[in-house]
Amino acid sequence: MTVSFWADEVVVSVLGDVDLVTAPDLNVVLAAVLERGPGPAVVDLADTHFMGVAGLRVLEAGAERLAACGRRLTIRSPSVLVSRMLDISGLAEIVNIQRADQGHGHLGPEQTAAVPGTPVTEAGGLTRHLRRVTSIPADDDVVDGALSLVVALARATVGGADGVSVSLQRHGQLMTVAASDQTILDMDAYQYASGEGPCVDASVEGRWFHAEALDQETRWPAFTPKARSLDINAILSSPLLAEDRPVGALNIYSRTAAAFAAEDQELASVFATEASRLLSKAGAGVTDDQLSDRLALALRTRRSIAHAQGVLMEREGIGAQEAYTLLRTFSRETNQPLRERAADIAGSTRRLPPSPAPEQKEGPCSVG
Amino acid sequence: MLSRLSDGLDRARREAGLSHGELWMRYFELGGMSTALELEGFLYGALRPSANDYNVVAHALNERFVELGGNHPVAYSEDVSNATEEGATQ
Repeated sequence: MTVSFWADEVVVSVLGDVDLVTAPDLNVVLAAVLERGPGPAVVDLADTHFMGVAGLRVLEAGAERLAACGRRLTIRSPSVLVSRMLDISGLAEIVNIQRADQGHGHLGPEQTAAVPGTPVTEAGGLTRHLRRVTSIPADDDVVDGALSLVVALARATVGGADGVSVSLQRHGQLMTVAASDQTILDMDAYQYASGEGPCVDASVEGRWFHAEALDQETRWPAFTPKARSLDINAILSSPLLAEDRPVGALNIYSRTAAAFAAEDQELASVFATEASRLLSKAGAGVTDDQLSDRLALALRTRRSIAHAQGVLMEREGIGAQEAYTLLRTFSRETNQPLRERAADIAGSTRRLPPSPAPEQKEGPCSVG
Repeated sequence: MLSRLSDGLDRARREAGLSHGELWMRYFELGGMSTALELEGFLYGALRPSANDYNVVAHALNERFVELGGNHPVAYSEDVSNATEEGATQ
């Protein structure tokens, strides 16, 4: 999946089919894009042949969200099959559809020059979309877009996370630059107003603050009752550092007390570190679309590998680490990338009747 | 013995033509849980990775070598227990 930011629209280009496994990724990316701003949003399905019900639901949710503020989602270049599904589901009535043969602004010659019948590879798609990017928003926008994506990814992957935000020092005061929803914005605002709370402390002191259970929390007497009144019961604030100076915090909120297990804290730390790197390099030419498609791809692969690990664990009666070693050894013996082997294994189970298997925990509990 | 294995990691990274950031991204993609800074610590020998973490880094590098037409030149932790230490980093 790639995200291209144009002066006049944001285009989410889907590479490959959208099914139960990949629909959550589309959801995360689309939500991040819709949160990002008021410009027209386009989902480009030129490289998608099939879209399952899960994918349709994601598009429907996105379209409804835009409709609530008087905007319409555009679906570009759907295949014949996907067009049919859009018609049947009624989605065609609430979105704009641009057929592949209708001209639109950003199709460069490199796109039309594709040899008929040649499947567009993922790498080809990525470079094509990177080439198509011509406009880069102002600096703060670039950073905010990338941070929105970090927020969406953290929200989707850190276990127990009900809401995520990023607070940053700007123009001498702390402000929220990306948040997953209004409750979270309110949570941050209460902290800025009262001058206390894990987010404020992490931003100022540059270290972790973990409020495991707010009903037993004594450090922030003014803020804690406000949080509990919004049904927030655990908070994890990780410091963001730019050039080793504390500049803000990645805040993860949960309705469940003691929601954040050790691996969730590790993941939060990974995201905080990446956000810090972004902030440190903000002026160094990292564009949010490059970052976003690389991260989205990495995340999708991680998820697929975790899924394959789960399949192997169940099939072979082995542990997570042994399953990972099996994948790795296979990759080594055949020179086939581990991600491809994982995708084969994950794909081989999709035709089976759906079993209510517990969702794979993000990230291999196996590693580390 | 893991520390001896780690000695060659940053050299392998340079030979593979990967920046620290891109190696981290590949490592994260393969399921690695350490931060980019910790990964740099592994590469420079300032931190000692767990065997599992080491193997993910080694595999990220080896997949890059395969892309470049090579094989799997970076040894995995299990190679050390089956081989002499002298040959392990070859």
